[in-house]
Amino acid sequence: MTTLETGRTVGAGLDRVDAPLKVTGDAQYPNDYSYPGMAHAALVRSTIAAGRIRSIDVTQALAAPGVLTVITHLTAPKLERGPMTLLGGSPPAPLQDDRILHYGQHIAIVVAETAEQARHAARLVRAEYEAAEAMLDLNDPRAQIVENPWGLDTERGDVDAGFAQADVVVEGTFTTPDNTNNPLGLMATIAFWHGDSLTVHDSTQWPHNVRTSLATIFKIPESGIRVLAPFVGGGFGAGLRVWPHVILTVLAAREVNRPVKLVLTRPEMFTSVGHRPNSVQQIKVGATRGGDLVAIEHHGISSVAMEDDDYEPVSFCSAVSYACPNVLTRDRQARLNIPCPGSMRAPAEGQGNFALESAIDEVAHAVGMDPLEIRLRNYAEQHPFLNLPWSSKALRECYLQGAERFGWSRRTPEPGSMRDGRWLVGYGLAGVSYPFYQVPCQARASVRRDGSAYVRSAATDIGTGTYTVMTQLAAELLGLDITRVRFDLGDSDMPYAPQAGGSGLTGALGNAVHAACRRLVREFLDVVRDDAASPLRRAALDEVTVTDGRIHRVGDPGQGESYVDILARHSLEELSADGRSTPPQAEELGMALSGAFGAKFVEVRIDPELGLLRVARVVSAIDGGRILNEKTATSQIIGGTVGGISQALFEETATDEVTGRIANATFGDYLMPVNADVPDMEVLFVGGPDRATAVGTKGVGEVGLVGIAAAIGNAVYHATGRRLRSLPITIDQLML
Amino acid sequence: MKHVETEARPAGQAPPEAPHVDVTLNVNGTLHRLRLDARVTLLDALRDHLGLTGAKKGCDQGACGACTVMVDGRRVVSCLALAAQYEGREITTVESLSVDGELHPMQAAFARHDAFQCGYCTPGQIMSAVCLIAEGRANSEEDIREFMSGNICRCGAYPNIRAAIREVTGEG
Ligand code: FES
Ligand code: FES
Repeated sequence: MTTLETGRTVGAGLDRVDAPLKVTGDAQYPNDYSYPGMAHAALVRSTIAAGRIRSIDVTQALAAPGVLTVITHLTAPKLERGPMTLLGGSPPAPLQDDRILHYGQHIAIVVAETAEQARHAARLVRAEYEAAEAMLDLNDPRAQIVENPWGLDTERGDVDAGFAQADVVVEGTFTTPDNTNNPLGLMATIAFWHGDSLTVHDSTQWPHNVRTSLATIFKIPESGIRVLAPFVGGGFGAGLRVWPHVILTVLAAREVNRPVKLVLTRPEMFTSVGHRPNSVQQIKVGATRGGDLVAIEHHGISSVAMEDDDYEPVSFCSAVSYACPNVLTRDRQARLNIPCPGSMRAPAEGQGNFALESAIDEVAHAVGMDPLEIRLRNYAEQHPFLNLPWSSKALRECYLQGAERFGWSRRTPEPGSMRDGRWLVGYGLAGVSYPFYQVPCQARASVRRDGSAYVRSAATDIGTGTYTVMTQLAAELLGLDITRVRFDLGDSDMPYAPQAGGSGLTGALGNAVHAACRRLVREFLDVVRDDAASPLRRAALDEVTVTDGRIHRVGDPGQGESYVDILARHSLEELSADGRSTPPQAEELGMALSGAFGAKFVEVRIDPELGLLRVARVVSAIDGGRILNEKTATSQIIGGTVGGISQALFEETATDEVTGRIANATFGDYLMPVNADVPDMEVLFVGGPDRATAVGTKGVGEVGLVGIAAAIGNAVYHATGRRLRSLPITIDQLML
Repeated sequence: MKHVETEARPAGQAPPEAPHVDVTLNVNGTLHRLRLDARVTLLDALRDHLGLTGAKKGCDQGACGACTVMVDGRRVVSCLALAAQYEGREITTVESLSVDGELHPMQAAFARHDAFQCGYCTPGQIMSAVCLIAEGRANSEEDIREFMSGNICRCGAYPNIRAAIREVTGEG
């Protein structure tokens, strides 16, 4: 394997290449497009959570000005369900029968000349229901339970024997609420058909998935479908699946034979595009008096929709985080009449880590040990159940350097012992061992006659910096100035890319770009193989290097020539090469594949009389493998941290327990941090490139969020002596 | 149980055509004569009728700031404004900030400080920041935090947004 050397371009904190488009308003998000003759759609959603539609009357809606069509389950064609994907099954196809499985289910789509007309007409659709009693509560005894849904339950050693040896056992029930992804961009779809082929703009994190799914659902060849998403207004997981509204827009466009645009409303964003499901977790941790962990038992249950899949193995983190001989983790799901959950930034880890890292803190207090010390003491030097060395792990450095930067040594151990005037001050910390997730990816690289490069792959940049870091990477690998490289994405006609999700895209795509660029250099060498005029004649790939638009022999810059010269002499317009990456295999490498690691240090200030809580400082020390761009990677961690603060203190999707209606489905009611809620924060990157892949990145999109809730909870305990096990932490829990 | 979501109107009677209005909007120094459905918001007029898609729609309920534009020197969430009421007002959008490809100092500062990720809130943040300075309200870190709190950034770029504004006000 050729590994990447650190160069001038990779790693540098360059401004985003797409910054000029974003700051001028020129970046085009899916709902910014419009087409001649475009019609507009609006949705009608169910107002019950379970039962049947007894009747649906569209007469008035159809008669309303500008209305072109109204499609309901009575008029919709039979649609296939979308295929299984790498992330599980597709959501159920819309309008296939009269059953209602959750509140807010789409029961009709209205298409009109203008958006105002469509919205108005949608309000004229009359539905009558036969309501059944909805199951909405995770503890509902009637709910069907899915055991071990992902086959990820683990067991090692003997937990009962472990607890029997323990001097200290802490045990607690932790609950986390439903959270709604709420990317700021209202998710939008524009679809238009030309005969049997179809073009779709969509707020997706995975254009190829949209293409494959629509091909299955509408029974048309994939080759006729083009999905475009050059810019997406965030996603945080909401754009990973092909949701019913996307399918309905495509269906409506076929029906009216015109381009149709649908922009979800904010309330619809709460019921149409997934959410982080609530969880209840029982965790029990045993330790010796000396602080050695001897047993961990972690049971999690999450909610899932009636006929759907979601990936939330919340207890799994307990299996991989500590060197503990006896560990048992179990996950279950309860099927409820709720809108389909889906991944939300750091799925499962965000919830599970809160329980685990709070419990570890409790153990530290119980045995009288510093919370930092106990984590170092039980450090998993190798993967705890694969018993393989990690492909990289600098979590120890995260703890030590983070503690240093934060000033952890100033902490006095006794709860309530640190004050600043009327404020109680608390320090808390949490560790994160994020899982590895990577899937195959492809990219194509070309160098043109003018010496510029064009590299592309059907990935998305949901704010992660993909455009920028891939431009940097390609520039480095081709020896070009960054201004001579264009990286493009967001088009399903480009080579296959997986989703922007699971913190896996940068790794998968980076290694595909690496492969494509290396092959491209080889293509150039092939062209001059027998070229007597070339100083590179018969050079092998590992005998050359690239700089300043030239390929030359290693150690002898004079022995080489430029891309431009080679192309010109051989009368070629351009040369191109494809590259692909496949996920490394632990068994082959003899290494456990590492995701990112992190240590989070938080200072909170609490006004004991008013119950006010302020997050005063956050230091995140992250081992993200190779960092391709320090500036954008730092933004990922800052953004993740804001998501963590939000999870800890703000967000809770409130479901009315009788009707299943989401009671706070607006930005006025659903709390999220605003500018004044978020402190300045410090981010440190430690560690080096991961050994498992050529590029050596580990993905930093999610590790920033995880651990923040636990670190805040632990800081609250340190400030107040109160252990809070239910998120979000709110004022009423803090009034002393 | 019966659930009906509808507007009161005798069955069978077709809903009337919505009233239209003639309005002349002064946007970025150019006058545009428009005939609009009276329900069209200023945001939709800009985006759907004038092709100025810089201002974004994040909530359509006045709660996120993505649609912020400047009207007579003050910030307005254009999703809560009816276009018909804005005749004769001076409307400025993000599209007018850069001149001949030269970024406005606030735009350049946002780029340098990586004050965005997905970029969807960015036009609103930038308009808000520019107005903040014009309003004389960006005098301290506290002020910036407080008066920028009407603009949600779900990607969480807040510290970087503050750094960009501080740089432009000369305190960075
Ligand atoms: S779209 Fe206007 S405030 Fe959110
Ligand atoms: S940059 Fe995505 S919402 Fe602010």
